[in-house]
Amino acid sequence: MALSRFSVLTRRRFLKALGAGGLLAAGSAGWLVALRGCAPSVAGLSCLTEHEHRTLTALAVALFPEGGAFAAGAASRDLARTFDAYLADEDEDRQSDLKRALLLLEYGPLVYDHRGVTFSHLSAEERLAHFESWTTSAELLRRQIALAFRKFLSMVFYDDETVWAQVGYEAL
Amino acid sequence: MNEIKDLSSAKAEDVTVDVCVIGSGPGGATAAWELAAAGKQVLILEEGGDFIYPSLTLRDGMYDQLYMERGGRSTSDLAITVLQGRALGGGGVINACDVVPLHDGVLRHWQKTYGLTDFSPEALEPYRKLALVDLSANLPTEDQLNANNKLLRAGTAALGWRGEVMMHNRVGCVGLGRCLVGCAADAKRNPRFVAILKALDAGAQVYMRARAVRIEDATGDVKVIRVRTLDAKGYHEERSFVVRAKTVVLAANAVASAQLLLRSGLGNEHVGRNLSLQPQLPITALFERDVRLFRGIPQSYAVTEFEELATETTPLGGFRIEGIGATLGIMSTILPAMGPKGKEQMALLRRMAASLLLVPDGGHGTVTVDAKGRPKIGYAMPDEQKKRFRAAVVAAAKLYLAAGATKVMVPTAVPVEVTSTADLAAIDALTFEPATTPFLSAHQQGTVRFAASASAGGADPSGQVYGTRGVYVLDSSGYPTSSSSHTMTPIITTSRFLARQIASRP
Repeated sequence: MALSRFSVLTRRRFLKALGAGGLLAAGSAGWLVALRGCAPSVAGLSCLTEHEHRTLTALAVALFPEGGAFAAGAASRDLARTFDAYLADEDEDRQSDLKRALLLLEYGPLVYDHRGVTFSHLSAEERLAHFESWTTSAELLRRQIALAFRKFLSMVFYDDETVWAQVGYEAL
Repeated sequence: MNEIKDLSSAKAEDVTVDVCVIGSGPGGATAAWELAAAGKQVLILEEGGDFIYPSLTLRDGMYDQLYMERGGRSTSDLAITVLQGRALGGGGVINACDVVPLHDGVLRHWQKTYGLTDFSPEALEPYRKLALVDLSANLPTEDQLNANNKLLRAGTAALGWRGEVMMHNRVGCVGLGRCLVGCAADAKRNPRFVAILKALDAGAQVYMRARAVRIEDATGDVKVIRVRTLDAKGYHEERSFVVRAKTVVLAANAVASAQLLLRSGLGNEHVGRNLSLQPQLPITALFERDVRLFRGIPQSYAVTEFEELATETTPLGGFRIEGIGATLGIMSTILPAMGPKGKEQMALLRRMAASLLLVPDGGHGTVTVDAKGRPKIGYAMPDEQKKRFRAAVVAAAKLYLAAGATKVMVPTAVPVEVTSTADLAAIDALTFEPATTPFLSAHQQGTVRFAASASAGGADPSGQVYGTRGVYVLDSSGYPTSSSSHTMTPIITTSRFLARQIASRP
């Protein structure tokens, strides 16, 4: 939905972002993989890897926590699977761009905050704060990624009749 | 002939016709009707599918099917979402049904500044009237104005400003309120229900899920249009075939018409330049009582106090404020907060009003194509336009406060909240950097602009693309400047005006 013109994250820009953040200098590839850790097994994905699914789910749960103003939250809804289905029908360029964006988001705390932890391992509050910092970042790339993922996840989360009832949106 | 064929399932074979019309929206459908009625053998190509009741679910998921690029088209920097219809009937299927005719000042400006001497108000008047007939244009009744638009009117009256109820093209509206994802009551008198049917009656044929990818032999007697069929959802290209036509009418929208010319290597250096996006900014306000902006006609009242109508020497300027309502998903993207605070805002949705700030621009955008022929939309908002947006935000905030709002929310990445006039100064600090503000565009124009000479534009005043013979643009691509705050009615007007000229030629 919100992402099909997301060809902003070219390989060149991605590498530049990683390099600028010091990720490449931070350690070996093995260390980076270990830092990311294992992702839970998810059956039936068409396009996303389990790690990518985990990153997006971690973001969705931070954006739409259970409880609070109304009960519904993203933890009980697999919004990342909807994204997976969406992505499967996009062309290879866009799939690559968006997968890079998810990788950058996962390593965001290391690249931009110089913390030895990846996005999925932060608490929900820390994830939200980190993501919000992207929306106001001086770097266009981070703002673009934040805008695009927020828009997609919002449109999917709120296109759910159980959520409608809780916010007073009337079904037809 | 005289049929609608869905090429995702039907067989496609090479075909020869008099006229190939690319795009089935207000421009293409009207041109097809005129040319078919004049006895031409007409074929319309449309990328999208046919969406009428009961296939319209009115859910956010419909953006995937009803809009270009699955609803995700935007400028290359993601700063502005570019909304363009992709269905039989084009933008008329997904617009807010606003009927705003071509103003005399716009036509005089085009005559005086761009040498479009034929475009006099007098010459266009019969076509303006016909457009209103096509659209069954009418004023919403008082009971059709929803609370969201009435609040806008109340604020306008309280401040002594100018405003008006806008004409629309709904007949039999039942107030579903989801107009931006189509009308399940089929109440829009859009091209799908008027011009397309008239064109079919006159013998035209429609191919859906058909994407024109290249025009060849553009100076020859017979042009060759290479077409690819799409799958049932329109995601992937499948088979190829060829349409041969003496005349080609481009009416695919101001991005896609330029894109096809660029992919085909046609036209001069003006093709793809002069893009006007006429950006819009959504703004919300909280009231102490229910507004239920998602019910009833979303957009029926316009604050015109700050609109500067075009004159001989100046294009459309200033700004307008218009009510708007949308599906829940879209509303969630124009509220500033995320996480628990975001949920708190959404829980107050029933008490929110929303409007769009429409700021005409000067055509400083571009359309280019990448190595795969996909469009790239370049657009850098100039400081003067940002200044008008700030003025529009201030005006909207004052208006909502005058109407009794407890809070006005500007959906920037660093949210601005106005609870009294003392807070208005914070608006001066808004810089609208790309990807910090949910700008959108619904009225793209100008990428193959009409001009009296090839040194000044991409097409001549008859719509014929310079450097071609018999390839015309009859959509908003041709407009030298913004035609109106809402483009459907001007497009129908000029398309018929120019199509009749084409039909009269041997």
